[in-house]
Amino acid sequence: MRRLLPLSIVLLLLPVTVGAAQQDLEEQVQKIASELRCPVCQNLSAADSPSELAQEMRQLILEQLKQGKSPEEIKAYFVSKYGEWVLLAPTAKGFSLVLWTLPFVAAGAGTILVLLLIRRWSKKKREGPASSEIGPEPTRSSLLEEQTRLSAELEELDFDFHSGRLSESDYKEQRRELESRAAAIHKKLALLPPLSSQQPVHVAGAPSRQAALGAGQPSPRRNWQLAAGGLFLLLFGITLGVFLAKSLRPRSSEQDTMTGDFLTGTGPGGVAGDSGNNIDSLLAQGRDAFERQDWPQAIDALKQALAINPNHPEAHSTMGFILAQAGHADSALLAFDRALSSDPNFPPALWGKGMLLYRVKEDFPAARQTLEKLVNLMPPGAERDEVQKTVTQLARLGGEGKKVLKKAQAETGASSIRGVVSIDPKLKAQVNSQSVLFIIARSASSSGGPPLAVKKIDHPTFPVSYSLGPDNVMIPGTTLSGKISVSARLDKDGDPTTREPGNLSGEYKKNPVEVGEQKIDIVLDQVM
Amino acid sequence: MWRRLLITLGVIAPLLWLLAFGFTRDPRYISSPLIGRQAPNFTLKLFNGEELTLDQVRGKVIFLNFWASWCIPCREEARDLEAAWRRLKDADVAFIGIDIQDKEDDAKAFLKEFNVSYPNGRDPGKIAIDYGVWGVPETFFIDARGRITYKHVGTPDTATVMAKLQEARRGLVSAAEGKGSYQPIK
Repeated sequence: MRRLLPLSIVLLLLPVTVGAAQQDLEEQVQKIASELRCPVCQNLSAADSPSELAQEMRQLILEQLKQGKSPEEIKAYFVSKYGEWVLLAPTAKGFSLVLWTLPFVAAGAGTILVLLLIRRWSKKKREGPASSEIGPEPTRSSLLEEQTRLSAELEELDFDFHSGRLSESDYKEQRRELESRAAAIHKKLALLPPLSSQQPVHVAGAPSRQAALGAGQPSPRRNWQLAAGGLFLLLFGITLGVFLAKSLRPRSSEQDTMTGDFLTGTGPGGVAGDSGNNIDSLLAQGRDAFERQDWPQAIDALKQALAINPNHPEAHSTMGFILAQAGHADSALLAFDRALSSDPNFPPALWGKGMLLYRVKEDFPAARQTLEKLVNLMPPGAERDEVQKTVTQLARLGGEGKKVLKKAQAETGASSIRGVVSIDPKLKAQVNSQSVLFIIARSASSSGGPPLAVKKIDHPTFPVSYSLGPDNVMIPGTTLSGKISVSARLDKDGDPTTREPGNLSGEYKKNPVEVGEQKIDIVLDQVM
Repeated sequence: MWRRLLITLGVIAPLLWLLAFGFTRDPRYISSPLIGRQAPNFTLKLFNGEELTLDQVRGKVIFLNFWASWCIPCREEARDLEAAWRRLKDADVAFIGIDIQDKEDDAKAFLKEFNVSYPNGRDPGKIAIDYGVWGVPETFFIDARGRITYKHVGTPDTATVMAKLQEARRGLVSAAEGKGSYQPIK
C-alpha cells in the first residue's frame, strides 16, 4: 500500500499538470498574438481581433509552438510573410529606429524650449522694475510699500538696540544699510511723474520724458497680436467643425470609409446624410430616362446612385439593360452579376442575365439555370408563364448550337405587329418638320418597367405604316410575345427627354393585342 | 519677425506634409516582402478530389490566384481569368486558384457559374497566411524557378495578366505591386 501511494499521487496530479501545460500554451499564444498586428483590422492585435484571419493566425501560432518553435521564430515567420508592419512594436533598427527615438527627441527639445522661455521671462521680470518702461502705478505703490516696510524695520532695529539685544557696531551697520535702501527708494519715487495735481509731489523738477512715454496702456502691438491669435483660433475652430461635419458620414457598408473619397481618394464621394433619399430619387430618374430611351441621362443618374451605394442591385441591373441594349453583352453580364452578388434573387437581374446568356452568349444550360431560378421566385401570373415558356424552349434546345437557335427564331418569326399611324385632322396643324414619331409596345400584364419594344420614325408624313418586330426590342435577342399594349407619341423636337406641351399621343383602341396581329392602327388624338 | 515666421513654417510645414501623406495612403494596403523570394510550397486538395502541390508544377510559369465566392471583385475577374487560361492552356503556364475563407458549396457554385476549368482548391487554413494574403483577389506570378516575380492585389486586367506572365517566363521581377479593386478578407 505504501509503495502504491506515491504512484497514486502522481496519477492524481497528472491531469492537473497536463491542464496547466495547456493553459500555459494558451497564454503563450495570447502573448505572441498580442504582439502581432491583425492584417485586416485597424489597430487591433491578432489576440484582440475576432476576425477569421486573426483566428487562423492564433491557430498557426499554437501549431508552431507545439512544434517547439520559439516566440521569436514565430514572430519572424509572420514578419517574413507580412513584413515588419505586422509587428505592433517595430524593432529598433533602420528607419524604425526613428519611431523609437523621435518621441524622446521631441520631449527633450520641448523641455529645453520651455526652460529657455521660463528663463527669458524671469529675466525680464527681474530687470523689469529697474527699467523705466514699467508703468508708474505698480512701481509707485510697491515703492511706497517698501518704504513703509523699511521704516518699520528701522523702528524694530532701534527697539532691538535700545533693549540691548544688538551690539552697537551691528546696529550701526544695519541701520546704515536700511537708510541707504530707503534713500534709493526715495530717489526712485522722486523720479516718477506726478500722479495728479492733488497728490503731493515729493520732488521738485520735471518728471523724465522717457518715463512718461512708457507709461499708460499695454502697447498697441501686443493688442494686435492678441486679436490676430484670437481670430486665428476662431477660424481654425470653424474650419475644423465645418470640415468634419461635411466629410464624415456613417459607413454604408463594410468596405466603406467614414470619409468616402474626401481624403483617401478610394471610396465613393463624401456625401451629406441624405444619401438614403437621394439614391431613391436618382434611381427613379434613371428608370424614367431609361424608359424615355435617354441613355446618357439614365447612365448619369445610375452612376450617381452607384457612387452612393456601389452595391445597389437595381442600379446595376438597369445599367445592365442599357449595356445590353447598346450591344455590350459582356459588360451587361458583369453588371447583372454585380446586381446578383448583392442580391442573388433580384428578378430583373436574373431575367437580364438569363436572356443574355440565351440569346447572345447562347449558353443554354446556364440560361436555363438562371431563368429557372427566376421562375421559382415569381408569383404566378402572365409574366411567370412567359418565363416558364422560355425555360421550356431552352430545355428543348438543350446543349445544341446555333442552328437550332436560328430555327427557333424562324419559328417565332411571326413575333411582330403591323399597322398604320394616322393623325386626328383637327390636330394636323401641330405637326412640324422636326417631329419624330415613337411607337411603343409595353407588356400588357405589367404596368411599370421599360417598354418591350420601341420604333422611332423621323419626320413622318401621315398616315405612316409601321411594323414592330424583333429588330425593335429593347433587349437584343428577345422577341415580342404574349399580350402587349401599343401606343404612339409624336415628339415635337425629336428629343424624347423633353416633354414639350403640344406633343401628340394616341393609343390603339383595342389594347391589349396579341403579338402577330396585323392592322394595329393608331390615331394620334391627344395633346400632351 | 521674418526669422520667427520662417522657423514656425519650418516646423509646421513638415508636420502638415506628414499628415497629408498619411491621409492619401490606403490604410489597408500592406506591401508584400515576398516578391523576388521563393514561393512557399503548399499541398492543395482540389475540388475534384485530387491533390496538387506547387512542386508538381515547378518548371512552368504559375499564375496563383486567391479568391472567395463572397468577393465581388473576384466575380469581376472570374470570366477574364478563365478566358486567359483557355488561351494559354497549351503554353507552359499553370493556373491555380485557391479559395479562402469560404464555404465549400458556395465555392463550388461559384466555379460552376463561371465555368472555371483550371485547378482550384480550398485553403486548409495556412496557405493564405504563407503568402501574406490580406485581400481578395490576390494574384501571385511565379517563374519557372519558383520565384515570385509579381503580385497583384485586386482585379488584374487581361493585358496585365499576359504581360506579367511573359515577364515571369523571362524571369523578370517587378518590385512594384499592381493594384485593382479588391476587398479585405475577413
